[in-house]
Amino acid sequence: MRIWLSLTLLALTQPIAQAHDIILISGGPALRSFEKYRTASHDKYWGNFIDSAVLRAKELQTTLPPTDKIVWLVFRPSYQRRGQEEKEDYFKILEERGFKAGISPIYFDNKDQLFTLLRRDGSKEKPKISRLEYFGHSNKKCWMFDYSNRVDGGALEPLVVHVDDLDQISGKSFTSDAECISYGCHSGEEFSQRWRMIVGRPMVGAVGKTDYSDGGIPKLSTGKGGTWAY
Amino acid sequence: MGLLTPLALFLLLPCLCFAPPLPLRSSSASSTNPATPAVPEPIAQEKPPAEDSEEEVRPPITEKVMRATLPAAHTPATYGVTDGPYFIAQRTIVEDYCGWGWVRKENETWRQATWIAMEGTPNGCPIPHTFLPKPEDDKDQQYRFYGHFAPYRAYEPQADMWVDVFILKGFMSMGPAQSIRRDPPAHGSSRPNRFAERGANMLKP
Repeated sequence: MRIWLSLTLLALTQPIAQAHDIILISGGPALRSFEKYRTASHDKYWGNFIDSAVLRAKELQTTLPPTDKIVWLVFRPSYQRRGQEEKEDYFKILEERGFKAGISPIYFDNKDQLFTLLRRDGSKEKPKISRLEYFGHSNKKCWMFDYSNRVDGGALEPLVVHVDDLDQISGKSFTSDAECISYGCHSGEEFSQRWRMIVGRPMVGAVGKTDYSDGGIPKLSTGKGGTWAY
Repeated sequence: MGLLTPLALFLLLPCLCFAPPLPLRSSSASSTNPATPAVPEPIAQEKPPAEDSEEEVRPPITEKVMRATLPAAHTPATYGVTDGPYFIAQRTIVEDYCGWGWVRKENETWRQATWIAMEGTPNGCPIPHTFLPKPEDDKDQQYRFYGHFAPYRAYEPQADMWVDVFILKGFMSMGPAQSIRRDPPAHGSSRPNRFAERGANMLKP
């Protein structure tokens, strides 16, 4: 009886490992019918933001605590339209690639849905976010999920996260030591600082452009004096 | 006397019976004497029509030739729904700036015009320049646009501006026009702000 009581007390006093979510966000590709005439043409390959997120998931899984989970959020409409343009089922391809990396996509269609998915209270159903990484189009003020997909050279208002929208992301959804990275272009020039001020966690972003053309994790474009900042 | 009456009748009757026909009403205007027989003018009818039609079939003027040879001439004259209220639209291309061009109402000037971005919808009316080899091929072309403004805006990333979005239902080509000398809205909210002034923390490579 004593042994049983002591074991129970020991179990109760042991800190329970909190489960956390690691969020990977994949923005959408541009349409070739808009981009092919430009000198600096974007997204010749449709899957830049998919492949980099899948590769990053593989990397993270090697160091992932058993309680934590990778949540992969994918902006659906752009892949649908690019697929229609090129007569390919990109959802099937990206789901297969995710399956090989042990992740499955959760689709979102606009920024409001993204904000809902990022709203966490630390419960078992909605664990807090310990890491957030973004792969997609951006400028210094904005994440543009549908850049050059429905509007030539721009993005529609419901489909971008502007710095003015950041107050809709609560800092309470993140753990106190959460790490955030934006792999979009120019995020380190203003978006990161606004994120730190409003959301309350530092976000590493690029000063200058990022390059996805070699596949894998994007890197800073060479020759522009770019750097990472937070 | 008894012989004179039949003799007179004998001489006058043929004159009355074989009198020349009265002139037609149409020929009376040209003829001063209505009693004069209207003589048809075979020469005028037999003339080849070249002399008369010279005034009607004019040779193509330079402007018409120029219009016909523009790439934008391949845009359909009308497409989609072209009834109801419309806007006057002019394609304007600004380098590194998102958007299609200017639109205004019929009774407005270009100073009152609105810069728009066009949303391409799969089942909607195609944007006019999609009928042409390159997007800039219809630069400075004017159209009548049938459609409406979307309830949302588009984000212009170079200038950090919000631009109105037009949903096109149909259009009517109106041909080339003079360039509109007016800049699109720019740099509204891209001025330095209190957050940017704090500066970034650079990560050393």
